[in-house]
Amino acid sequence: MTGFATLGGIEIKLLLRDPGALFAMAIPLFILVVFGSATEPGDTTVPTMALTIAVGLIGLYTVPTTLATYRERGILRRMSTTPVSPGSLLAAQLLLQLFFAAVASALLVAVSGFVFQAAWPARVLPFALVFLLGTTALFSIGLVIAALAASGRAANGVGVLLYFPLAFLGGLMQPKEAMPSFLAAIGEFTPLGAFRQAIGDAWTGVAVQPHLLGIMAAYALVVGFAAVRFFRWE
Amino acid sequence: MAVIEVNDLTKRYGRFPAVNGVSFSVEQGEIFGILGPNGAGKTTTVECAEGLRRPDSGSIRVLGLDPVKDRRRLTGKVGVQLQETLLPENIKVWEALHLYASFYEAPRDWRELLVQWGLADKSKARFGTLSGGQKQRLFIALALVGDPRLAFLDELTTGLDPAARRVTWELIKQVRESGVTVVLVSHFMDEVEELCDRVAVFDRGRIVALDTPSGLISAVDADQRMRFRPLVPFDDALLAGVPGVASVSRSGDQVVVTGRGDFAGAVTSVLARRDVPVAGLRVEQHTLDDAFVALTGRTFDAEESR
Repeated sequence: MTGFATLGGIEIKLLLRDPGALFAMAIPLFILVVFGSATEPGDTTVPTMALTIAVGLIGLYTVPTTLATYRERGILRRMSTTPVSPGSLLAAQLLLQLFFAAVASALLVAVSGFVFQAAWPARVLPFALVFLLGTTALFSIGLVIAALAASGRAANGVGVLLYFPLAFLGGLMQPKEAMPSFLAAIGEFTPLGAFRQAIGDAWTGVAVQPHLLGIMAAYALVVGFAAVRFFRWE
Repeated sequence: MAVIEVNDLTKRYGRFPAVNGVSFSVEQGEIFGILGPNGAGKTTTVECAEGLRRPDSGSIRVLGLDPVKDRRRLTGKVGVQLQETLLPENIKVWEALHLYASFYEAPRDWRELLVQWGLADKSKARFGTLSGGQKQRLFIALALVGDPRLAFLDELTTGLDPAARRVTWELIKQVRESGVTVVLVSHFMDEVEELCDRVAVFDRGRIVALDTPSGLISAVDADQRMRFRPLVPFDDALLAGVPGVASVSRSGDQVVVTGRGDFAGAVTSVLARRDVPVAGLRVEQHTLDDAFVALTGRTFDAEESR
């Protein structure tokens, strides 16, 4: 157990030293500050987009790049010759990134509320549950990228390539209302689109549509299973 | 009891046999060398013993345990330095040692290893900023931090400058003196000759010889060569009849004599008896390189095999 605590502590330090990870936090904050100032008090459209961008960047970008790099550098392989399995490192990383996503989201909610007078999340429990489900779905996609990518660099590239069309379809480039209706309809079935819609509804207090939860759960289960199935330790 | 026992080990990648019927045993407290060009099956053999690969056939016991089935019990007793592994760029030297120490039930004091391996002043440096030699020393320290009874060191001094290699060799001797059995994988002849108590020479997935380094060298059945510059003229026929001498020839003002056994001693005593003073006398000793050529019929070119 002390091994796991030490591992967690060092992984936190490594995360804080990684400029890429800090970007994942800075970009959505920047978007919130730039576009948030133009919105009406109480409106949560831009804060919802910023939060979705943050979780999306961590899930599709930080998670796969970190894990694929660990494999590429032989770190997982080296660990498998010690009494602590490399699975512990993976678990520590995923928990840590989840924590990181939660901190980033909390920061965005706080800045939205205090600085831009956006509404506070109407009901905390549904908000937290949607956050957890959406993050799990996006992390599953990140994991499958890490599983299939040949190297850290490749994982990085795939993450970026996947991020932009998903962000576009998910209504993160422009408000959903400004999109052609068929694209907006498709967007609901993408992980970022479903997450943005669900977390936005939970934020404003509208009942979350069950099919959005189903879509996110399906991504988490199917893609997550594929990631576990295809993950290579070396 | 032997620390490692390998019996008729075979491992294929596809249809290509990387290791083909290899048997050897490593005794308590020795430095056992595994020598051979790249692709000879050295690393595959060692990885089977580390439990990283499952043999296709044959048996391996390490400290009396099965490396695959008893992997969990074995990992606490065995230290490993792998070829081509890295650490995260941003981890600091002390953090890496502290982290790996935390993996073991009864680790060594990592601060001690930091000093012993000359990394004390680099303690707070990030891995990415270390030189090749410092990285290599850190990896060896990480292999020892669990206080293992057996350490596998794969390509110990690759990428190190000559001075750093010497320092590393001295430290490895200290490791043996502390009672740790060491398996050293290398494609450097000089390293193996300097450090190893016994050597298994690998070629194309098989062991072609297993002996002490000096045993391997003395088994070379080939002519040796001596050369000198005579200070007074003499007739070559004088030396042609000396026991063991195979040929006498001249190259400029040098005389080159080839032969076997103690021909060099016989030649010098004949020259002394006939009052032929010589200068620049050199006897070219066989080396492990010659032994390798004799064993495999090929030259061992470390550069080419990289």
